Amino acid sequence: MQVTSERTSQRGVMNTTQQDTADKAAELLAKIAESRSRAAFSELFSHFAPKLQAYGTRQFGNEQTAMDLVQETMTNVWHKAHLFKPDRGSPSTWIFTIARNIRFDLLRKNKKRKDDISADELWPILAEQNDNLDDGYALDNDVLMQEIAHYYGQLPDAQREVVEKIYIEGKSQQEVSDSLGIPLGTVKSRTRLALKKLKELIVEHD
Amino acid sequence: MIKSHPSEAILYQYAAGDLSASMTLVVGTHIDMCPVCQQTVCDIESDLCQKHLDTVVETLTTPTAAFSGMSKATCDKMLEEIFSSEAKPSIQPEELICLEGRRFVLPRTLACNHSRIGEWTNLVGKLWRAPVNVGERGHTNLIYMEPGTQVPEHTHKGQEATLVIDGVFNDENDVYYDGDFILLDADRTHTPQTSENDCLTLATLDAPLYFTSGISRLLNPFSSLFFRV
Repeated sequence: MQVTSERTSQRGVMNTTQQDTADKAAELLAKIAESRSRAAFSELFSHFAPKLQAYGTRQFGNEQTAMDLVQETMTNVWHKAHLFKPDRGSPSTWIFTIARNIRFDLLRKNKKRKDDISADELWPILAEQNDNLDDGYALDNDVLMQEIAHYYGQLPDAQREVVEKIYIEGKSQQEVSDSLGIPLGTVKSRTRLALKKLKELIVEHD
Repeated sequence: MIKSHPSEAILYQYAAGDLSASMTLVVGTHIDMCPVCQQTVCDIESDLCQKHLDTVVETLTTPTAAFSGMSKATCDKMLEEIFSSEAKPSIQPEELICLEGRRFVLPRTLACNHSRIGEWTNLVGKLWRAPVNVGERGHTNLIYMEPGTQVPEHTHKGQEATLVIDGVFNDENDVYYDGDFILLDADRTHTPQTSENDCLTLATLDAPLYFTSGISRLLNPFSSLFFRV
């Protein structure tokens, strides 16, 4: 994972101008989300439209398609500004991923296939978040370990043991199954039940 | 811990939007399950953004002048169209899938494509499949193996990607658990099997080779079974 860590450090050296621009753009997105501010959107538009146009022109070699990319990308920004999460990346990266999706759809549109899948299905960055999932495969990132610690003691022993091994010791479900001598299915159901219980406890006390 | 990941090159193509739809679906579903690859993809997207967007116009002081390709009138017209446009309805993920009394929770990307999952068919013995229609030539399937299932040995032409959604299976090379992503190149022989656990996987294989080569039966680890029925 050498390359990854290099990337992360590169991101850390974002210069002051870039940081200012990012902060400004995040502020504008928040305004659009909160108050449907057309002024804020127009300002964001004048910053990003030329960049998107240049990207589209390089990708398609066609001015008209590049314009379609600008319009469709910015239309999504206007309607979906509330889905931008500042903790997950910069505003420009978020807008880039929307443009990437639009590009994918525009490239495939010409081939006219039936039932064609759309980029929004493949990269569901603009799908509403469903927070009611009690998913068995990953702990919700928003739920911090510290928060959990408060409620942890309230779990039945069998569930707490499994959760501890998986989320604190970092073991796989198979390893837990082996070390406790219980079937994998039981480890999974205990994990699911424990996570569900933890979520309920956290929501109750929020 | 997930031990088998897509290569960095594949993650890069995924983030750039350069993979086929079916491969994007499989890789994206792996990423849903894998915090390590999530972080890598975030970093790659940030890099791609720097390359494609950030460096294009360094500073922008006079908005309309800088937008060289569009007159102010065109800009205003586009803004007006955006403000009067209707929001597209969001995709509603549907995360549960049931088969033979088993209930599975689908990762987010797959859950967003729930409506594309077809009917389950019992192929042979304890082996099931449901096609995932991504609208392009290719063969993307959910494969379900009950405990104690063995797929007869076979070879395949072209690349095949398999992702473990839930369960355990093994072949001659290794044992694979939830979230493991396995990419097999052409001409590899393997014999997937389950022992005491069942296993739900998402698998896709290169389509063009299948349709042009005439040796379709040899394509996918499971394809001799798929196309007989």
